[in-house]
Amino acid sequence: MAAKTETELNLAQLIVETLNLEVDPASIDPEDRLYGEGLGLDSIDMLEIALAVSKSYGVELRADDENNTKIFHSLRSLARHVQILRAA
Amino acid sequence: MSDAGLQSWRSQPERGVAWVMRACVVVALTAGRGVMRLFVPLIALYFTVAAGSARRASRAYLARVLPRPPGLFDVWRHFATFGAVILDRVYLLNDELKRFDVAIHGEESVLDVGRRGKGCLLLGAHFGSFEILRAAGRRHAGLRVSLGMFEENARKISAALTAINPGLNMDVIALGRADSMTRIEQRLREGAFVGLLADRGLTNDRLRRRAFLGAEAGFPLGPFRVASMLDVPVVFMFGIYRGGRRYEVLFETATEHLGADASHSARGARLLDHYAERLEFHCRDAPFNWFNFYDFWR
Repeated sequence: MAAKTETELNLAQLIVETLNLEVDPASIDPEDRLYGEGLGLDSIDMLEIALAVSKSYGVELRADDENNTKIFHSLRSLARHVQILRAA
Repeated sequence: MSDAGLQSWRSQPERGVAWVMRACVVVALTAGRGVMRLFVPLIALYFTVAAGSARRASRAYLARVLPRPPGLFDVWRHFATFGAVILDRVYLLNDELKRFDVAIHGEESVLDVGRRGKGCLLLGAHFGSFEILRAAGRRHAGLRVSLGMFEENARKISAALTAINPGLNMDVIALGRADSMTRIEQRLREGAFVGLLADRGLTNDRLRRRAFLGAEAGFPLGPFRVASMLDVPVVFMFGIYRGGRRYEVLFETATEHLGADASHSARGARLLDHYAERLEFHCRDAPFNWFNFYDFWR
């Protein structure tokens, strides 16, 4: 498993708390797929994550972003996107 | 399907499908409803004989809902009802709502929600006519309605739409994608109405198994979790075919059935139970309107 950055670990904790997942945030592979196989989340879980991320990080994840599939691909891609938004 | 696969078919014009659709539609519109309806019993008969798995599914369903053991005639009637409703879609899409006799109930409360500028989640089922619901909605200019649909269906529908009425403007949200629900949420936030058929699960959607017409069936929790999460008004909608030119459109406000539990799943489950109860009620009331021709109780 690839090592996690601090943002990735925070994000993993947020996801686990938001969705009441029974996994250890530290055990989530940052490169695993979030949607479908991988963590096994559905699109409503993704919505919950998007809402929780917007709330805790003060950023807006846009529904009509063309790159959503890429952004929501993994913990890593989501963390990267959040960091870009926060830097902007 | 992989993302790359999705991309490739999306960029293709789908000429074949559109062409066949157009041909069927031209025939249906030229011949007229009266003539076309003569074929419905024959087509239903063909399906009763030839479509084994759909026939078994129909019979199994009818056995649950009818007060007597269903015979082949009932199965034929089931297919004939489906055929009649499908045929009418052509005329409804062609803006010929006037040729139908439609009784609408509960519309005021839905329009009220629209006037307040708040989004609204409309939950239907594969039951009766979806097209009559949309046609009823189109009577109100300025009402923005989006529909959540699976990509494959969405593609077929848009081919049909272009064939029949290119002027119709329909906003379709593709389901079964990572961002499906975030898109739905955005539309709702913008004050649009979003319609979903909530009796069939999305891919890898969690199911809630509960009693339905006397046996346990799995209902997707998804649409109901969304309803509880977004805190928008929820309305159940049913477009029931009553035979001949008659349709009945029902809107039932359901928000109060969300319950007060803490978690979205629990609140959603409460709403789902109410949905299943209402669907069961309408199945018993208009049994031949059920259009899930597969083993719903598997």
